[in-house]
Amino acid sequence: MNEEKHFSDEFLNAFVDDQLAAEEKGRVYLEIGRDETLNRRVCELRKLRDLVQLAYRNPPAPPVRQRAGARARRFNLRFGIAASLLLVLGALIGAQFELLLTTHAPVTVGAAPLTMSPHPADRSAYRIPSNKVLIHIARDDTLQLGEALDEVESLLRYYRDSRQNARVEVVINGKGLELVRVDTSAFADRIQQLQREFDNLTFAACQNTIDRLKREQGILVRLLPGVVVIDSGMAELMRRQNQGWSYIQV
Amino acid sequence: MEILDFFLRTREAQRALVEARARLYRVAYAWCRNPALAEDLVQETLTKALKKSAQLRDPKARDAWLFTILANCYRDYFRRLRDMDDIDDVEISHDSTPESESSRAEVVGMVRAAIARLSNGQRQVVTLVDLEGFSYGEVAQILDVPIGTVMSRLCRARNTMKTLLLPEFQKNPAMVRDIRRIK
Repeated sequence: MNEEKHFSDEFLNAFVDDQLAAEEKGRVYLEIGRDETLNRRVCELRKLRDLVQLAYRNPPAPPVRQRAGARARRFNLRFGIAASLLLVLGALIGAQFELLLTTHAPVTVGAAPLTMSPHPADRSAYRIPSNKVLIHIARDDTLQLGEALDEVESLLRYYRDSRQNARVEVVINGKGLELVRVDTSAFADRIQQLQREFDNLTFAACQNTIDRLKREQGILVRLLPGVVVIDSGMAELMRRQNQGWSYIQV
Repeated sequence: MEILDFFLRTREAQRALVEARARLYRVAYAWCRNPALAEDLVQETLTKALKKSAQLRDPKARDAWLFTILANCYRDYFRRLRDMDDIDDVEISHDSTPESESSRAEVVGMVRAAIARLSNGQRQVVTLVDLEGFSYGEVAQILDVPIGTVMSRLCRARNTMKTLLLPEFQKNPAMVRDIRRIK
């Protein structure tokens, strides 16, 4: 019977991991010199430990992330201050101009007629006078995107020409993100021109989609200037609709 | 002076946390094989550690303390993910097996694949011992299991790895020569 049979696997693991008292270690060393099989068992355990260390010496780098949290906090602070000022200003202006806001007409976007305004007789509704329109883009069809931008422009022109207050937000997620990516957008100039012309227009890109592109395809998304990032496109759609925004899906 | 000492200790603790980041990430990656998830786990670990850094009385115990937090974050992640599964039964998917990895240039991939095939508990023990050099007692404390469990898990893990890996190296002796050269 070999001497090595005296040593269990657990005991030899503890020996390799330097978990034994000096006396026990000495006993193993003594036996290793006498028994080739025991020597081989110890060598195999050491080799396995070395292999594990080798396998994780250089783990893959963690994904680079945009500091969305910090940016969002800065944005929130600025937004909070600006919103407070606007609220006060809006209340003052609203009181002065309440009587002027009495004529509104139905708006047609594409083939779907949409009544954006409440009945003129409902005066109380004009205390918050904006027409709020949410346009959702989740596809990358170039023809459709071009038509969608045409509709956005028509809508904004209509509101401006008819002297109505309005806000239009284009929420972009999924494949639609190509519309506002620097490297893929076929409408970069058009979008910038619209942003210059209409300060009540917002393009909002979904952070979840940006993260997913990075995670699944390794694409580091760079957005066109002026495009804001929102935490989740779907959440934004729900929030806005709960706030009374009209929803149009492209 | 006591206030000054307190702040210095806190600063020192925070600096040590930042330095531990790479080691935490390496172990987290070994556990979950997903860089993004590993990074999330490390972020969560460091956030919790920074919040509680003043509670750490013995700086020598910092490493075990940090990896305890990491192990808890990892456990919580699986609890959130699958309430009904025992995490020890969860095998991390891997698109290759040790048997399929034959090129000597893929030794690293073979070893990682073999580790991915271990049970979660075995994987945690073997990486804490081999990568971080924790004692069995420290591993028992980190994972909140008896020391006998640590020893049996380690033993089973290495036996499994031996079965998966060593025949491959015997078929390709060049691999072992390559490993020696790398070392």
